[in-house]
Amino acid sequence: MDIISILFYLVTSVVILSSIALIAVNNTVHAALLLVLIFFNTAILWLMMNAEFLAIVLVLVYVGAVLVLFLFVIMLLDIQVQKTVSKKLYLIFSVVISIIMFAELYMVIFYHDFENTVVENLSQDTSNTYEIGLLLFTEHIFSFEVTAFILLVAIIAAIAINMSDRERALRQDPAKQILETKKSRLKIIKDNEI
Amino acid sequence: MITMTHYLVFSALLFCISVAGIFINRKNILLLLMSIELMLLSVNTNFIIFSHYSNDITGQVFVFFILAVAAAESAIGLAIIVSLFRARNSLEINLINKLKG
Repeated sequence: MDIISILFYLVTSVVILSSIALIAVNNTVHAALLLVLIFFNTAILWLMMNAEFLAIVLVLVYVGAVLVLFLFVIMLLDIQVQKTVSKKLYLIFSVVISIIMFAELYMVIFYHDFENTVVENLSQDTSNTYEIGLLLFTEHIFSFEVTAFILLVAIIAAIAINMSDRERALRQDPAKQILETKKSRLKIIKDNEI
Repeated sequence: MITMTHYLVFSALLFCISVAGIFINRKNILLLLMSIELMLLSVNTNFIIFSHYSNDITGQVFVFFILAVAAAESAIGLAIIVSLFRARNSLEINLINKLKG
């Protein structure tokens, strides 16, 4: 076993185990931290496939921004840890469905037999970032602009959804709604009192 | 030696685990979002595998776009969660059935 194989098995086992832990834990903060571990290890895996630019983007943008946003929302909302044990039926269903899916994917992968070749490290004199930039700003320039627009729409939508002026901020409180009586809401005014 | 099949099996396994996660955590909307992120990650890994082994950089450009769209999606999803929590004071999914008709 060479060093690459050892690294591959180490990284993939960490990712698989922590993703199983992610779907099993109840605590959302723990789940977000496990997601950080998964993303970090996947970035290592992408580095092994010579995708340096995307590996760094995954760590910077995903671990640095999106997952911090997740943690921020979790802390902000102050969700009490509730026991969310699913019904046994759902657990069985999920396991059966995912095993079927995996078996099918496995069969497809092995049926095709992707010429199990290992590409030798291409001795290219240009870096991965250079290659991606070259393709991104020539052939895919329109898609790039559309992506920029999507991000702009996301910013505006995220602000617009949460921008509420105080007096319109309606809030439902079922306990108070139940306690309301007819007397507190309804007032009958007789004709002669006016 | 690590071949393409190894990577593909890993990616398929990650995808199936996150599908199971959507079934199991259907009460907790934050964990649902995290499972979707995990799915997108496995799809991105698949793109990079094929890009690497067919020696074509276009797959990595596509992953770049997917990452941008996924970031937008999770930003809007979290904004919806925050406003939902402000309106309802809870995140129970089985209570979000008011539009049943």
